[in-house]
Amino acid sequence: MIVVDTAFWGARANGVAALERELVRLRRAQSAHARELGRTVARASVLNLIVYAEREAHAKRAALSISELALRHPSRAIVVLADRGAREGVEAEIEMHCHLPMADGATQVCYEQILVRARGDSDKRLASAIIPLLVPDLPVFLWWTGTPPMTGRSFGDLVGLADRLIVDTADIARPDVALPGIARICAQARGLFGVTDLNWTRLTPWREMITAFFDVPAWRPFLDRITGVRVGFGVDMDGRDIHPSQALLFIGWLASRLRWRPLNALAPSEAGGLLFPIARADGVPVMVRVRPRFERGLDEGDVSGIRVQAEHEGQRAEFVVKRQPDERHQTTTVLIDGRTRWERTVPLPSPAIVELIGEELAIIGSDRTYEDALAALVRLS
Amino acid sequence: MPALYNLALQRLLPASFCVVGTARKALTDDEYREELRLAVAQHSRTRPLNEEVWRSFAEQLYFVATPDDQGYENLRETLERLDEELGTHANRLFYLATPPNAYATIVTAIGAHHLRGRTGWARVVVEKPFGHDRESARQLTEVIQTVFREDEVFRIDHYLGKETVQNILVMRFANGIFEPVWSRQYVDHVQITVAESIGVEERAGYYEQTGAMRDVVQNHVLQLLALVAMEPPAAFDDKAVRDEKVKVLRALRPIRGAEVSASAVRGQYTRGFIEGVAVPAYREEHGVPSDSRTETYVALKSWVDNWRWEGTPFYIRTGKRLPKRSTEIAIQFRVAPHKLFPREASEGLEPNALVLRIQPDEGVSLKFGAKVPVQGIRIRSVNMDFDYGASFMVDAPDAYETLIVDALRGDATLFTRRDEVDQQWAFVDPILEAWASSPAGPPLYEAGTWGPADADALIERDGREWRKA
Repeated sequence: MIVVDTAFWGARANGVAALERELVRLRRAQSAHARELGRTVARASVLNLIVYAEREAHAKRAALSISELALRHPSRAIVVLADRGAREGVEAEIEMHCHLPMADGATQVCYEQILVRARGDSDKRLASAIIPLLVPDLPVFLWWTGTPPMTGRSFGDLVGLADRLIVDTADIARPDVALPGIARICAQARGLFGVTDLNWTRLTPWREMITAFFDVPAWRPFLDRITGVRVGFGVDMDGRDIHPSQALLFIGWLASRLRWRPLNALAPSEAGGLLFPIARADGVPVMVRVRPRFERGLDEGDVSGIRVQAEHEGQRAEFVVKRQPDERHQTTTVLIDGRTRWERTVPLPSPAIVELIGEELAIIGSDRTYEDALAALVRLS
Repeated sequence: MPALYNLALQRLLPASFCVVGTARKALTDDEYREELRLAVAQHSRTRPLNEEVWRSFAEQLYFVATPDDQGYENLRETLERLDEELGTHANRLFYLATPPNAYATIVTAIGAHHLRGRTGWARVVVEKPFGHDRESARQLTEVIQTVFREDEVFRIDHYLGKETVQNILVMRFANGIFEPVWSRQYVDHVQITVAESIGVEERAGYYEQTGAMRDVVQNHVLQLLALVAMEPPAAFDDKAVRDEKVKVLRALRPIRGAEVSASAVRGQYTRGFIEGVAVPAYREEHGVPSDSRTETYVALKSWVDNWRWEGTPFYIRTGKRLPKRSTEIAIQFRVAPHKLFPREASEGLEPNALVLRIQPDEGVSLKFGAKVPVQGIRIRSVNMDFDYGASFMVDAPDAYETLIVDALRGDATLFTRRDEVDQQWAFVDPILEAWASSPAGPPLYEAGTWGPADADALIERDGREWRKA
């Protein structure tokens, strides 16, 4: 039997009532400590966050990220650690631990962390252990680490509790299977809960820069005259594992906004990347390439650069956004007929998970732009 | 008895005081004391047992068996002897912790054997349920009144002894800011939830005869409703407070006949999971017939037909084997009259709600919209939470301790009066009758869920939804 790290997760509580008593005790201790310092602890919560993980390392990483967010998103986090690999015959069991971690400077807000550990075949019983732990009447976010299963009662039950499902396709190696699956979840989720992908959040700085080009009146006409797009994404040195989901979502986004249609099915290009023959809204073909690149410091799957080519009234324009080798800046360049007309360097927001999750927790409901991008991508492939 | 022991611990018992236990079976004083010692050690909210306090407390415990008339005569003699020894002046509190069907017999015996004593006061404490319907409650009252005046009858509804329930009165009437918005003008609707995750446990025999309506709605829920809806009383005393409560109960619009199917939903739990553990269906519980039609869940939409609440529905739900133990009253306010902010900005905004939590953790929370700290306007609902335990750093006294002290002091404010009980039965009786005469049984719901689908439909028809309690 694997024992969880109680120094991190807190003492084990025997059932929901015992867990509640323990939380009251911890809260009181915190509140007494705060009083000595002349402060008060506000138990202001804005959300419930359920994290689903199948490995303790993932669960811990997620828990650390959330505790860093306590100031921005005071919450109750319920981390579900499911040992799905448990052998047959292992008695299904649910174990709970709780803890009030204190992030630096966050002594005035209360953040509660609960670990729910499910062993054996707990599919049917998992939700019943989580519902009593949710803070009443607050939105519920479900952060599913790993590939979300399309079936299975616990996934359905947990999603049924959630107002927003957060997945991360960066962890998923088979986008051709996973992305259509997530698109199906989105279609079923309409009106019930929102869906988002941290890989989509990672794209935000890229989408912002690309959009900004076409806010300039002189360059606006090029938007409907795009002839080619190239997106580079990171791979490891030997280029074995390919995680193109983020780059693909970018293509899906352009296609959904500009109403592009597929010309042919998705085909692998010679360089290990992907080639999309696409038609613009006016029927003119656009060549879209997504290619893996090895760059030091670039995480696998992260976009390294985007180049958009367009032709309008005899002028050839290239709009380029690139990540700087220092990992902290982006450069945007505009070339008209091969001549640089504009170049600027802007800070690139941190891609840390904590920042991404923080962004997503600020949104309730569905992100139509994301859902449209995903749907367009699925149609293209 | 754990409540009495805890009162002793808190030095709240009168200087001269004793407890005389009585039952049909025979026990010596020492056997009785030992029995109670075990029970208190197991169930007291303060543990471990303080042996010294217990020893001196136990010295004041006596037992008299009352299987027959001679038993009651013995009881009278014991009481008179103890009066003499302790100088208690024949002040007597009779506490009936027996099955309800024994109340009438015992009270009659108290009268017949002159147990009241010639001097001093006499009071009787009766546990719920008080009667089985309006008629039987009236009959019971009549029997009791052959021995005790109404102001000597203390009908316990232990919910009224809970701190947060009393706090409803304090919140409403000790503060200036809540009462002005406490009306139809600002309140969209009220939701009262009394959810239990436990099943019927060892009480199947009792519960099978009672059901959720009689067990919880007739007393606890309607009392909560009365406290939330009542007008400000002129004084904080038993008469003024109960006068205002009974006015609310009288103003409850009856649900009867054909209205029952539109405004009342019942349910019975089937197998499911609670806190991750598989639990049996109600009909599989020990002592429950396999074709039982007893309801373990009730949802109601009710109206208080008075000036203050016209047009503001009170939604009620209670049940066993619901996903969690939770009792709360939510005052859901109307949405802001003018939508100043764009729809995208206020997607996470919900109407204001003031929630009075009664259990598990007693407290009050207020939900309001706040700007998310980003560029531009994005609004989210946040909950500002007041936690009783963390703010006062003490455990709230147990409801029974509060009520026993009140009964000893003769303060009946937190006890239910005859006319209240009568109105409460008047409200639930027609619903129970309609259900009993319906050929269909209660709709089923899986244990660990929030009740049958009909209950959702009940509130969703009005464009509202049950809170995520």
